[in-house]
Amino acid sequence: MKKKLLSAILCSAMAASVLTGCGGSSDDGGAASAPAEDSAPVAEEAAPAEETAAEEEAPAAAADGEEVTLTVLAGQSTTDAGIEDMIDEALAAKYPNITLEWECTGWDGEFHPKMQQYLQSGLPDIIIGKAQDVATYASQGVLGEIDSTYLDRGLDAARENVTFDGKTYGLVYNALYQGVYYNKAMFAENGWSVPTTQAELQAIVDDCNAKGIIPFASHMVDTWSIGNVTMQFMMNDVFNNTPDWGDKFRAGEVSFSEDEAAQTAYSYNKLIFDNTYPETFSTEQTDCDARMVLGEAAMKVSGSWSIQNFLDIDENFDFGIFPFPNQTGDSKLIFEPNIAIMTSAETEHQDAVNCVLDVLSGDKDLAVEILDFTKTASMLKDVAPTFPNPSQTDIDEYAAKGMIVDVTLGNNQLVWGGFQEENAADIAAYLQGDISFEDCLAASDARVSSSSVQ
Amino acid sequence: MKKKTMQDKMNRQYILLILPGMVIFTIGVILPLLLAFRYSVTSWDGMSVEKEFVGISNYINLWKDANFRQAWWFTIKFTIANTIVQNVFALLFAVALDSGIKGQKIYRTILFIPCLVSAVIVGFVWLKLYSNVLPELNEVFGTNINFLLFGDGKTVLRGLVIANNWQWIGYWMLIYLAGLQSVPSDLYEAAKVDGANAVQRFFNVTIPMLAPAITICVVGITTGSLKVYDLLVSSTGGGPGRSSTSVIQMIYATAISGRQYGYGSAMSVTLVFILLLVAMIQVKGLKSKEVQS
Repeated sequence: MKKKLLSAILCSAMAASVLTGCGGSSDDGGAASAPAEDSAPVAEEAAPAEETAAEEEAPAAAADGEEVTLTVLAGQSTTDAGIEDMIDEALAAKYPNITLEWECTGWDGEFHPKMQQYLQSGLPDIIIGKAQDVATYASQGVLGEIDSTYLDRGLDAARENVTFDGKTYGLVYNALYQGVYYNKAMFAENGWSVPTTQAELQAIVDDCNAKGIIPFASHMVDTWSIGNVTMQFMMNDVFNNTPDWGDKFRAGEVSFSEDEAAQTAYSYNKLIFDNTYPETFSTEQTDCDARMVLGEAAMKVSGSWSIQNFLDIDENFDFGIFPFPNQTGDSKLIFEPNIAIMTSAETEHQDAVNCVLDVLSGDKDLAVEILDFTKTASMLKDVAPTFPNPSQTDIDEYAAKGMIVDVTLGNNQLVWGGFQEENAADIAAYLQGDISFEDCLAASDARVSSSSVQ
Repeated sequence: MKKKTMQDKMNRQYILLILPGMVIFTIGVILPLLLAFRYSVTSWDGMSVEKEFVGISNYINLWKDANFRQAWWFTIKFTIANTIVQNVFALLFAVALDSGIKGQKIYRTILFIPCLVSAVIVGFVWLKLYSNVLPELNEVFGTNINFLLFGDGKTVLRGLVIANNWQWIGYWMLIYLAGLQSVPSDLYEAAKVDGANAVQRFFNVTIPMLAPAITICVVGITTGSLKVYDLLVSSTGGGPGRSSTSVIQMIYATAISGRQYGYGSAMSVTLVFILLLVAMIQVKGLKSKEVQS
């Protein structure tokens, strides 16, 4: 009897809670409609409760002080981790009603899986990735066009590779430079000058070996580093001469197995491997950079992300940068638009999103803070980082001579995920002696269908 | 008539009890499995709306894919090595601890602690150990031992097996220990009376009585090793080259990073099928060897 009574009480409680839940929903809807009608002057009097609720979140209200929370997916490089706090602070100062709900992931790790997940369920309001991601996701029709008010605050060069069919889908914030970082003091001591040809580079390598200096610092344990330098080589030996090489590759006009320039680009990895730390496949980036700063190695094919390490290890380390010499002696320094802010085409808070774009593109103090932290170059007009960058004079020189090339050209044609990344694994296998050079090239050719997102 | 009503009631009760689990299992396992099979016969890239039907071509391509075969070969070698090493050492440690040695609890705790650590952390720890810490010992002791096991395709499997066993031996040891402690002592006494020595008692009493624990450990270690992923991600990343790329890692790289969701799904369906097959064979084979005390 007691059990029956207890069961009856429990059932009643469950039924009551269900009914209360339904009732609550109705009441809430009614309660929410009143202030919404007050605050949103455009709301029609006869608007149903659902419509009124939607208007409560309407973009027009967001900039007027209404509390808005925007979701942000940030695919960050290791150097970027931490900029979210700076952005939060700057946003709170100008638009205290807007809160960002961050989801920070590694760009090379979870970012793309997350994006694929969100493509099914709806994108976050703001997506922070790299410039090359704009091509990937704009082609899916899910990105919103960025207003020219904010784009105009950036450099013209920032728009080129994030604009498709006349619409720009990304606000490029900063840029990295890639090339060969070299120890200036070591170069001066040994009488080496910056090489512009393969022969000159080989002479330095030979001299290094003769003197017991390791020519190249490298960390091939990170397969991405192999992929990165390979694209640098491809830019100067392949794309410099054939800017649409990737398209021709897909059209079957060129291939890795037959194109001498592409083969040369791949073979430079062997030059590095034969002249680097014997334990490069066990050396992590931080250790690699530390050994370069400590004078163990003369050069490192890398990008601006190494500067953070160089200066953290020794703030007085004097280094420069030059483009990895190609076969024709006309190599250009690689320039990579890095952080790119994208927005969802279907955000319900476009005004609030624009407020964030306003802060990011208009707050110069914030920009300097971020650039100094990430040790990167600015893509905004009239903004320059203030951190001491010994390689800046070299960059300025190459820029003045027009010897800088945007790697997005190559990255858009031969995508990272599924292609460059996989090719890098094959190159590593070749360097390890697991497969032949011909097999490595053939594997890249066989992957042609994965070379583009289109 | 009354008996039938009671049976009906019991059946209803059983159904009610298993229903929540069934619902969760169906939503969490069965449906994704069916969806994976559905995607495996398409060329879906994981992003676009179109999911073009391609029949079984993904499955045909799998067998032509040298990288997939290599991933399987690595996974099989890793699984065999783990299954042997972990079972043998876990059993030996369990026997040693069951023999009443001093400090049994301390040893048990020390051996068990690594399995409380995430495999990702274990990967990082061993990467640092092999790359930085252990090579320093060469300098201290003036030796020339190659500790850079993760840096060479020929030694990477050895390095990973050591790391994986370091983590999991303590866990399986506890299962063997529990099995050992449930073996009735009168069986040992009877064997002693019959003149069996320690080795004979181990093989003729301990091992048969541990058969249920052996089944659990062998199946657990085998299926766990076949699914290895997190340890590799934080230690070798599947390298050098492709020398330590596991099947799961390849599925992830293909379906997610490589935007070949259909092809990746075909890989995962194959993996599930093989996992089930291996587990079924092992359970059937090992169950037949089990004895009741």
